[in-house]
Amino acid sequence: MGERTEQVITLSLPSSMQHVDLLKVIVTEILKETNFSEDIQEQVNLAVIEAGTNSTKHSNEEEPEKQRNFQLILAENKLTVVTEDEGEESTRIETETEQVIALSLPSSMQHVYLLDVVVTEILKETDFTEEIQEQINLAVIEAGTNAIKHGNKENPTKKATLKFTLAEDRLEIFIEDEGDGFTRREVADPLDPENLLKSSGRGLFLMEACMDSVTYENNGTIIKMVKYKGTPES
Amino acid sequence: MQVNLRHKGSITILDIEGRVIGADALALKDIIDQQIQVADSEREPREKLNIILNLERVQMMDSSGLGVLVAAHTAIRRNEGNIVLLNLGGNIRSLIVMAKLMTIFDCYDSEAEAIAGIIRT
Repeated sequence: MGERTEQVITLSLPSSMQHVDLLKVIVTEILKETNFSEDIQEQVNLAVIEAGTNSTKHSNEEEPEKQRNFQLILAENKLTVVTEDEGEESTRIETETEQVIALSLPSSMQHVYLLDVVVTEILKETDFTEEIQEQINLAVIEAGTNAIKHGNKENPTKKATLKFTLAEDRLEIFIEDEGDGFTRREVADPLDPENLLKSSGRGLFLMEACMDSVTYENNGTIIKMVKYKGTPES
Repeated sequence: MQVNLRHKGSITILDIEGRVIGADALALKDIIDQQIQVADSEREPREKLNIILNLERVQMMDSSGLGVLVAAHTAIRRNEGNIVLLNLGGNIRSLIVMAKLMTIFDCYDSEAEAIAGIIRT
């Protein structure tokens, strides 16, 4: 992957205790990329969970409308974790029933796993069926891969940013990259017989097949996907 | 993802387990490419390569994984070999149907059938 630079992963979570699990799976996954021994990985994980629990229980008093922000900075032989919470200074104006989870990643294909575990964890809290959860998971992996590989050309200094909004009736997902964008209608149809044997070009098709709605904004650098609970119009 | 490689006579069987997504899809591509290279260079006279991909324990596959299957199919067929799929679970089957790849791959539900099928073609 060329020179090894610092990788910064940021995560923003609502302040409910259940999200400590999400923090835990992300840290576990990131630690796998380090040279730390298993013992040390366990220790770091425990420390991060304590910090996360602390900011949840004490600073934000388990008020889910307040966000907690985490920065995980992975250098060659060092992992730095910065936690920040809104405490008294909450300025959020989201409605109470919405929960927002945001994640920002350096553009490396290794991090596609991180997306997988994050989405799996987020979806556990929803009442989507297992089958639908797998579909959403696949759509996010495809959108993330698209942002990392095609948008940001696997440049680790460029970020792929994801935002998950859990509302009462739907899950909305935004994925943004720092690339040049693309035009959807210029992407070839992978189901066309002449494209069936191509080894790439199925990502957007799978996203659209798995979600209720997929829209491309800002010249394709932002993808917005929605999955409704129940049928779209009900 | 984990891949176990075994042989039954001249047939290579890859038992794949886990989630074939992102970087792991590329790792699977490396393993298959290596088998193609071995078949190309080391065997005299050159034998055709027959591969069975056992997907029984694959829970998820993304478009990168599908791309690896299709690229392997093209490369192996070029050398007059064959690649077939074994034990597709519900998720993987619907993915392959959705991508219209059932017309390209022969799929089997038992190893014996897959072996018989790969030798026949």
